[in-house]
Amino acid sequence: MSVADSAIGSRSAGVRLLRLAGSLKFALINLAALFVGVCVAYLSDSRTVWALVVPLASSAVNLLAAMLTNAVFRRQLPLLVFHLALLAVIVLVALGRLTYLKGAAEVVDGGSFDGVLATREAGPFHGDAIAALSFASHGFTIDYAPGIRRGATRNEVAFRNAAGRLETRIIGDQQPLVLAGYRFYTSHNKGFAPTFVWHPAAGGVPQLGAVHLPAYPLHEYRQAREWVIPGTATVVWTMLQFQEIILDPDKADQFKLPGEHDLVVRIGEQRWQLQPGMSVSLPAGRLEYVGLRGWMGYTVFYDWTIPWLLAAALAAAFSLGWHYWRKFAARPWNREQDDGTTA
Amino acid sequence: MEQLLELKLLWAALVAYVLCGSLAIVGVVLRKRPERSVLALLLLGLALHTASIAVRWDRLGHGPFITMFEILSSNIWSLMLAFTIAYWRIAAIRASAAVVMPILFIMMGWLMMTSPGEGHFPPTYHTVWLFIHIGFGKVFLGAALVAVGLAGAILLRRTARGAAWFQRLPADARLDELAYRCMALGFIFETLMLIAGAIWAQDAWGRYWAWDPLETWAFITWLALGISLHARVTFRLSPRTGALMVLAVFAVAFLTFFGVPFVSTSPHKGAV
Repeated sequence: MSVADSAIGSRSAGVRLLRLAGSLKFALINLAALFVGVCVAYLSDSRTVWALVVPLASSAVNLLAAMLTNAVFRRQLPLLVFHLALLAVIVLVALGRLTYLKGAAEVVDGGSFDGVLATREAGPFHGDAIAALSFASHGFTIDYAPGIRRGATRNEVAFRNAAGRLETRIIGDQQPLVLAGYRFYTSHNKGFAPTFVWHPAAGGVPQLGAVHLPAYPLHEYRQAREWVIPGTATVVWTMLQFQEIILDPDKADQFKLPGEHDLVVRIGEQRWQLQPGMSVSLPAGRLEYVGLRGWMGYTVFYDWTIPWLLAAALAAAFSLGWHYWRKFAARPWNREQDDGTTA
Repeated sequence: MEQLLELKLLWAALVAYVLCGSLAIVGVVLRKRPERSVLALLLLGLALHTASIAVRWDRLGHGPFITMFEILSSNIWSLMLAFTIAYWRIAAIRASAAVVMPILFIMMGWLMMTSPGEGHFPPTYHTVWLFIHIGFGKVFLGAALVAVGLAGAILLRRTARGAAWFQRLPADARLDELAYRCMALGFIFETLMLIAGAIWAQDAWGRYWAWDPLETWAFITWLALGISLHARVTFRLSPRTGALMVLAVFAVAFLTFFGVPFVSTSPHKGAV
């Protein structure tokens, strides 16, 4: 065999391999593998990302090879658009998973988000632009239907817009605050936040801080939390006590702060019952209870691929509709023979 | 008072549906063609059912999207509407009503055993995407139901009695072709349903996809449908195999629409 024959042979082997990778049968195998992968991932408790990644990657290869080798895509534009859109969906989902961010934040009324998340899950290539973001929460209202069933949430927030001007907006259900692509959604998590000012004995600037008690009414009977006074090792246990019915189950109501309440503060064996304006003197300084505020929990989400993914998915759906329309319009369903105009 | 009117209208609609289905089955068994009466009863049932849903909607201030009663009622309505359109427009397949109506009888029996009490309409449901998502889902299931009627007739015709009952239907290959077209239509609307659902989920829960049970099962349904359509293109399947695949896909879809929402604890409940 000559060198030329050998080159032709290896080239034709490559073409055969490409045709095999782009075949309808391989596509069916991939779809079946994805079906099994989704079931495995759904039923398994362990980490099973591979069960989805392998068939999706294999499907991407199949789609690309099919478009390169199958002549039907050159004759049928809708089919080509459909397969391109499917490939785009897979690639965008992969890019999205590499760069996404999902997290949670809590902001006290009158306070501001300073770029720090309470929980965070991000793709390996996610940047850290969120650290530079900020907005202030000016308080929130939440309606409740009888039976303590949560209704509409309205949260007033203030932020600097792209032009650098201060802007206020009401966000809530279906209405996130979007800053530099990061989407902040009000969540069902919200509660009470006793607010303190810490006056260090050694002097220095007094520090204002709020303790976010567990979410209310989700943890109605666990309105207590331990925390550490800033700059010290003093652990403080704080519990909120009130008699008032915050959310009346028998009527439509709104989330509100308890009017009359006591704040129980315990440090070691010592215990105090405080009301707004009262203080606790400690060797390291004075802890002043200034009052109660609310805190709102936010779900934070970032994925730059969303609009592209939507466009690709819509392109896939409409091109498939176009393909079927052409195919079915060419021949009535009750006609025996295909007229040969469609695949 | 209004609830009583709503229930009276619903029961009247169910009576019309049952009469219609019974007439269709008797017509197939006795080889009669009471098609005008069947169509009239279908339309009467739909009119009464529409009135019942409208009265309930007006009373509660929200559509039938929350409780099992509402979901079953609205799906019986949409499936009936889909089949009525097929029955009216494609005269050749009218005998398939004898297959379709018993499936709807099961849903009606289930509905009658379900409490008509009201549920809470969550704030995340106050969006136009609810209607778009559900609308697409209903078109998908309606198209799948018409395909199931054809698939059932193909399979029943393999018995001597079934062959006699359904002799006036077109040949199996033609029924198979029409079932394929219905499933293809369903596939497009199932895809659109997933897209609309993802848009809604993004704004409602801050993520477009989270593999919650209902999302996962909706995707499994989409894959099952995709596999069945792709298998038809890849292999020359017999009408019997095609019919079995239609039934399998419908079974998965039925489980997704009416089973998973009520065993899931995720916030994404049975808004279908």
